[in-house]
Amino acid sequence: MQENLPPAGEERQVQTLGGAAIDGAPIAYIIVLAAVVTALAFIPFSIVLASGGSMPLNQSIFPLLGWLLGPIAGALASGIGALIGIFLAPYTAGVPVVSVWGAVLGSFAAGTMVTGNERRYWYLALTVLLVLQFCLYGYYAITNNGVSLSVFVAGSFVDWSALLLFVLPTRILFARWIAHSNVGFLAVGLFLGTWMISGITHLSQTTITYFMFNWPEEVWITLIPIIPLENLIRSVAGTVIGTGVISGLRAINLVKPKQAIY
Amino acid sequence: MEAIATLEQVSYLYPGATEPVLKDISLTIQRGEFLGIIGPTGAGKTTLCLALSGIVPQFYGGRFFGRVTVAGMDTLDYPISQLARHVGTVFEDPEVQLIGTSVENEIAFALENLCVPRAEILARIPRVLAAVRLQGFEQKNPQELSGGQKQRLAIAAALALQPDLLILDEPTSQLDPIGSQEVFATVRTLQQELGIAIVIVSHAAEEMAEFADRIALLSQGRLIAVGSPDDIYAQVELLEQHHLRAPEVSAIYHALGQQGITLPAVPVTLAGGLAALPVISTQGNLAPPPAFSSPVIDQQPPILSAQHLTHVYDNGTQALHDVCLDIRPGEYVLVVGQNGAGKSTLVKHFLNLLQPTEGTVKVRDRDTRHLSVSELARSIGYLAQNPDNQIFNTTVEKEVAFALPYLGYPPNVVQQESLKSLKAMQLWSQRQTHPLSLPKGERARVVIAALLAMQPDIIIFDEPTTGQDYQGACSILEVSRQLHQMGKTVIVITHHLYLMPDYAQRVIVMGQGTILLDAPLRQAYHQTELLQSTYLTPPQSVLLAQELSRLSSQDYPLITPQEFAQCFTPELSEEVWA
Repeated sequence: MQENLPPAGEERQVQTLGGAAIDGAPIAYIIVLAAVVTALAFIPFSIVLASGGSMPLNQSIFPLLGWLLGPIAGALASGIGALIGIFLAPYTAGVPVVSVWGAVLGSFAAGTMVTGNERRYWYLALTVLLVLQFCLYGYYAITNNGVSLSVFVAGSFVDWSALLLFVLPTRILFARWIAHSNVGFLAVGLFLGTWMISGITHLSQTTITYFMFNWPEEVWITLIPIIPLENLIRSVAGTVIGTGVISGLRAINLVKPKQAIY
Repeated sequence: MEAIATLEQVSYLYPGATEPVLKDISLTIQRGEFLGIIGPTGAGKTTLCLALSGIVPQFYGGRFFGRVTVAGMDTLDYPISQLARHVGTVFEDPEVQLIGTSVENEIAFALENLCVPRAEILARIPRVLAAVRLQGFEQKNPQELSGGQKQRLAIAAALALQPDLLILDEPTSQLDPIGSQEVFATVRTLQQELGIAIVIVSHAAEEMAEFADRIALLSQGRLIAVGSPDDIYAQVELLEQHHLRAPEVSAIYHALGQQGITLPAVPVTLAGGLAALPVISTQGNLAPPPAFSSPVIDQQPPILSAQHLTHVYDNGTQALHDVCLDIRPGEYVLVVGQNGAGKSTLVKHFLNLLQPTEGTVKVRDRDTRHLSVSELARSIGYLAQNPDNQIFNTTVEKEVAFALPYLGYPPNVVQQESLKSLKAMQLWSQRQTHPLSLPKGERARVVIAALLAMQPDIIIFDEPTTGQDYQGACSILEVSRQLHQMGKTVIVITHHLYLMPDYAQRVIVMGQGTILLDAPLRQAYHQTELLQSTYLTPPQSVLLAQELSRLSSQDYPLITPQEFAQCFTPELSEEVWA
């Protein structure tokens, strides 16, 4: 407060009471961003080879919602938006339950990318779940469906690389870049962050759908170049949207949710 | 009297801010009182209102010092929903808080959220609608109401919660004079009949002087003074020091006081000013009416012309009827009239955004029907009421240069023209700033710079002073003067007649789709009955000058406090009129 410090009054602990916010994120933000997720559900960006249908572009902003609103409010906004999107744009819904799960998980995982001490270990619980899923995924592919190890490694490149980035300190590095005032760092942070979060979301969703559809090795081989390409599209779209949104939010100085990392 | 709200040494910083927006504020608001809050932009008025409802700091976060209590509840210890049972808030723009599909749904919404029983909600709706004089509008869509009616509906919705304290943050800034009067009168009735404490933030000095019990003056986050309107508005120098405007009556009597013609107390209301007029005759000599030169009538061909212009909207509403108007190059024209008078419809014809149902509109000698909107953009710059609607680039520089390439300007000319325009509007140092991060007055300046870069001959300002404090309004009007001095034709639409004497030359008064009066400004301002017939309020200087003319039996066509004060000289004991 420069020359005005210290004020005569005693400093009070500020807390949000009542229901105007969820986990420090104003409900209005959650509603608006859920609506954006729903709107993007109308735009398909890729064909789902394994189960048919198409993938919605809203997948590219699930991580962004986690960074804007935090893990709980972000997951809520993405989940609500994806759920409504399933009904309004069924052609991008895929397996509805899995789509909503992916939305919730993606935003939650992004929200656990914290740079401070608060909630710094939340990612561990998620890591345990993801490692378990990856092991199940590999075990089922190799032992039950006869997928060769090399094909599995290549076909799950996005999944394991994202998991590694998530477990290593790169998770915190990306969070720092997203919080950086330089728009270049912000864009790089958003790109790599979206790649990583979309990758682990893909891992979690695919493990479930794989147990449902059991696609053979031929499909695995076809998917080897396609899955990274899809993740690249998500990352580019997430970067373009995220850079604009975060730059705009910073410029107009709109109230920042408590768990936001930008 | 019992206190309904108290602030004890309150300081507050928004998240990430290094400067507090409120600094050690201590203030007590009594039950049933009408407290006016005045202050320049950035004084912390809105933050103070938000602190009284708990939204600051509970919603915004940040650092909070001191204590605010409302109805005995500490605003940091109780949720906003509980505080909302005691504090109702009405914001500047009613559009942002009206969400219902009907008037009665709008009122019921907050009550439903607070789990008020249905029977009680049904009982409260007619009561509050009667209080704001909106009976019979129950089923109407709020979006179909006029500005004043919308604001009254917002007040009714707040009132339905039966608050002990009603906060109104600049509720009249977007309203025409009749809407503004409606709101002040309604609020005053609520205070007197229901005993609700009122806190109102407003730049409307004349209304505040008339209606408020106390005035609190805030500046740069500090509470500078609290007192009765008589105390505060009599301190004209203090107000000027904080870039605030005193009621014209105060300004006149203060100026007279400086000339040695003093009264025991400076009147701050029109009634007080009229009553004091005979008294000053005992202290000062009245000079003969000053001679004012008649404006020179330019015989150049008109730059804008409407001949027998009639416009009927698709729903059958006749917005303009047989309007004939010529505006000549280099004129500064003021267009006034109540909401719905046809001002905007007329302007939209100049921009070819609407086409005449009958008659013609010409820019120079070309019929606008044969000109595209983009061609007209080269000739006419239009500053909309809300400049934010015209801003969409990420830096001031990009905003100013945006249209030029589309008009076929080569890159070097784009750079040259935008640079010239930025410098002319004193925006050079802010060229890399995001336009929306600037104050509203500056944002208007950005849009003007963008218009200027296209080198139009005519610039139209549509309600440029709405929502501006006195300094902001003057700053925009100074820009208009600057453009006029550059030889541009300037057209300003506004309800704030008191701001315009130093700028406009000619006034066009519109009402019910026709031109009621087209006259030089001085002459038009003294057509008070005609102005009042279209719900416009003449400046207090004009009304005092007319009373002076009546008392002295001479014609004093004065329109500003300065002109009025200069008519008196401090020679003693000579009675100048009976």
